[in-house]
Amino acid sequence: MDNIENRLTKLALKGDQRAFAEIVELYKDKIYHLAYRMLSNRHEAEDIVQETFLRVYRNLDRYDQNQKFSTWIYRIATNLCIDRLRKKKPTYSLDAEMNDQEGMDGYSMIPSDNRTPESEALLSETQQIIYQAIDSLPAKYKSVMILRYLQDLSLQEISDVLGMPVTTIKTRVHRGREFLRKKLEPKM
Amino acid sequence: MECNLAVSLMHDYLDDDLSKEQQMELKAHLLSCPACRMQFKELEQTDMLMFSLSHHAPSAPLELTQRIMSALPQEKKQQPWLGWIRRHPAVTAAAIFLIVMFISSVSFWDQDSQLVVKGNDLDQVVIEGDTVIVPEGKSIAGNLTVENGKTKIYGEVNGNLTVIDGSLYQASTAHISGKVKNIDQALDWLWYKITNAFSDVAYR
Repeated sequence: MDNIENRLTKLALKGDQRAFAEIVELYKDKIYHLAYRMLSNRHEAEDIVQETFLRVYRNLDRYDQNQKFSTWIYRIATNLCIDRLRKKKPTYSLDAEMNDQEGMDGYSMIPSDNRTPESEALLSETQQIIYQAIDSLPAKYKSVMILRYLQDLSLQEISDVLGMPVTTIKTRVHRGREFLRKKLEPKM
Repeated sequence: MECNLAVSLMHDYLDDDLSKEQQMELKAHLLSCPACRMQFKELEQTDMLMFSLSHHAPSAPLELTQRIMSALPQEKKQQPWLGWIRRHPAVTAAAIFLIVMFISSVSFWDQDSQLVVKGNDLDQVVIEGDTVIVPEGKSIAGNLTVENGKTKIYGEVNGNLTVIDGSLYQASTAHISGKVKNIDQALDWLWYKITNAFSDVAYR
């Protein structure tokens, strides 16, 4: 049985650009959603999507057809997000004031990105609270919770994506769920 | 049931990973423990809220596909050729070896334009300039090979006659008992050199 992804990757490998464009169409929203929730930044999410597909393209010849394509692309995207999070965190604090200019802090150095995806315009208060709660999750729980709930992957699939035993994934889902419950509980 | 165990079972239940019997046990505990009942309710709500987010997935900007496609590297076109080389290193090495051999042989072929006469019985042969003559009435025992010269046969050759890069004239009186070979193509010449080299090796 040849599923659509396998057929498209074979065509793309032969140099068919339209086949690759179809792969992009199939997955770009999923990857964008994943990256946007992981990084809470529209520009960075777009970067991640672009970088993910670039890596997929470069490594098409190494893609193992026995593996699910979604697992493979989620692994690439998740790793890119985790790397980005790791780099972001300890280097500097946005709240620290800069020495040279008074009143300048890290926030004012970042090009303002108040535009959110259109669907976010109508966010309810509850949704905003959940998004903030997800954003405050430590990275190792964040990726698991996003893959589980927002991408609707099974525990086994998450274990394949992250290359960790299912028992570890299970523990992380439990702790992540407990963490979110405590965050959301006062608002429920 | 301990509350700790109950919480663990609650999570398993939400993971869709709890047997019927264990579900019954959990239910029994929840009925008797208000604190756990409360926690279960909160966990269930958290779970449902989280799942509801997948319906509010933001879509990537429309022009992103275009941007991705135009950022792809273009060198893919060379790939099949390079890929073939990578997959068949032995064949590639052999091909390069043959090419080098061929080129060097051809350049040698161009180089020697001197008259060379080989044979066992050369006393009978008359050489005038670049012309090798076997006069009438004379007979040569064994093979005769002439490179880069004209060959005129009036007498007898009791063996093979090979003419390389030259012309051959046989008079009506000529008699050659063996084979006559006239070689003037690079490839023929190459083949001759190679078979000669092998027979040389074999007889040495």
